[in-house]
Amino acid sequence: IPVTPRILSLTPDFSTSTLNLKWSDNGSVFPYGLDAFWQIWVLRKETMEKVTEVTYHSKLTHEDIILSWNWTSDLPLECMSHYVKIRCYINVTHFGLKDWSDWSPAEVIPDMDPSGSGVFPLDTVVAVGSDVTFCCVHEEGQNITNMTYGSKPYPMIQLSSRSNAIRVLNASASDTSGTNVVCRFNNEMLEGTVLFVGYAPDIPQNLSCETPNFQIIKCTWKPGRPSGLYGKRRTKYSLFERTCGKNVSCEVNEMNKELACGFPVIPDQKIYDFILGVSNPIGQTESSVVVDITQRVHPKTPEKLTVSGINSTSVHLHWFINGSFAEIRLLCQIEISSGHSEQKLHNISMPGGKLSSYIGQLNELHPYTKYRFRVRCSAADHFWRWSDWSRVEEYTTSEA
Amino acid sequence: MAGADGASTALQRRDLCARGIRLAGKMRSDVVNLLEAYAERQGLDASASVAAVEGVPPAAVERWDEQTSTQRLLENLAAYRAFRALLAQMLEQHREQLGEADAALGRALAAVLLQVSAFAYHLEELLRLESRGVPGEEEEEEEDGLPPQPHSLFEQKLRGLGVLRELAQWAVRSARDLRQLTKPSPGTGSAPSLPESP
Repeated sequence: IPVTPRILSLTPDFSTSTLNLKWSDNGSVFPYGLDAFWQIWVLRKETMEKVTEVTYHSKLTHEDIILSWNWTSDLPLECMSHYVKIRCYINVTHFGLKDWSDWSPAEVIPDMDPSGSGVFPLDTVVAVGSDVTFCCVHEEGQNITNMTYGSKPYPMIQLSSRSNAIRVLNASASDTSGTNVVCRFNNEMLEGTVLFVGYAPDIPQNLSCETPNFQIIKCTWKPGRPSGLYGKRRTKYSLFERTCGKNVSCEVNEMNKELACGFPVIPDQKIYDFILGVSNPIGQTESSVVVDITQRVHPKTPEKLTVSGINSTSVHLHWFINGSFAEIRLLCQIEISSGHSEQKLHNISMPGGKLSSYIGQLNELHPYTKYRFRVRCSAADHFWRWSDWSRVEEYTTSEA
Repeated sequence: MAGADGASTALQRRDLCARGIRLAGKMRSDVVNLLEAYAERQGLDASASVAAVEGVPPAAVERWDEQTSTQRLLENLAAYRAFRALLAQMLEQHREQLGEADAALGRALAAVLLQVSAFAYHLEELLRLESRGVPGEEEEEEEDGLPPQPHSLFEQKLRGLGVLRELAQWAVRSARDLRQLTKPSPGTGSAPSLPESP
């Protein structure tokens, strides 16, 4: 008859109501390759009512192996005491009578405060549509007048002399500060917890990346359906680039319709293979895009536009663009308007510079005429997007 | 010269008290509005019974009329310093729990925190006028230390309700205390009392 198994650890995860059991299979005392069966019982309350029975199979390897088993409770573990015990059966042919070992001593969940009170699970997050059981654990002799979910009272189920429960079905999305689950006692005191009900993150839509200055790459996307989770439970984004292996976590404002994240341009790297990772306490997803940043140039607004006259029909325009465009040619468009004539657009292409000023010349203007100029720029080869227009600059040509 | 100095100090004190009473009145109405918004946004019943909040000095005091001016000012100052720490903690918790989702409530909390800080400074001015030493912040912080973190979110919400309720009570008491300060102590002739405020 096999030796009584020894439980090494019984570890609760209260946030997920999961128990992890670890025990040694004592395999070193048996020949290699035998079948071993482990019967595990989970019991509840001081009356040790059996809740779950499972038989777990393993192969002995003539070494002592640590085996592990997980169990998720339908009730928060805090609602009442939980115990686990285990016994084993070794399928050995030539040792006489085969039988189950004795049960191990019942192990109780550690970290549970037997005298504790409160409503459980504590401050947890679930997906919309979930069914959730809450229990109100209280001191002996204390009477509960009611238990409410949000503002609605729910029928109570007595679990033990110190624990009552309610069951919420098909939970709907909670407010920003969560839905309160409140347990009222006859002495007016309250205990409670907060449930956050939201959605797993949506796959980001319209993921697009461009560079304004060949120093930073700006990726933007639409978050899709709001998760309904905020603050530290909000949906978080990170940008990972496969080629260089760099990962950047994005600071976003969850209330915005369009979200953005910056990634540094890597010297001598043109192609970027991005994965936008998205996660919140309910789930995770991702979106990806590959871009050649020389084909995704969206320059910043041209600044410091000034005009200087050459003669009565020609002028020079000077402007500055913040960015390093030395690797590409720029195409800039000058809009020319004057009182009585139609607006004209004049395109100029020029080599890009590094944090530099640019100059354009306009000819065939009318003498002694008041003009209004503004300029915008883009990449000359592989046009992607114009910059915004610069401020308008007025100039009157000299007399002929 | 002593007479002139005495008179000017009394005038300064009256002015500080009058301004303090107005500050307390404004603070009280803002706190009452904030209390309603807070209860509603946190899904709480505004009349929910809340245990005495640790770290919050009760506004109700026995034998109120026997207190000296200095006692009044010192108790007020200790209270508003405690409220300043508690409101700062509430604001931090608000940011952590809600982020940008309820910016309006965050702004209202920050506005009340500002008023509480201003009122504490005002009380320090009055204490200096009484040529009384103003207790250092460090002494008080060591004594009380930062308010303990509630262990659950619901407890955190309830505590916020308790803090705001007590602050509203304190604003009423402070106005009464300051009005009491402007009354001449027995035997020094009467002075016109200040208009009733909250």
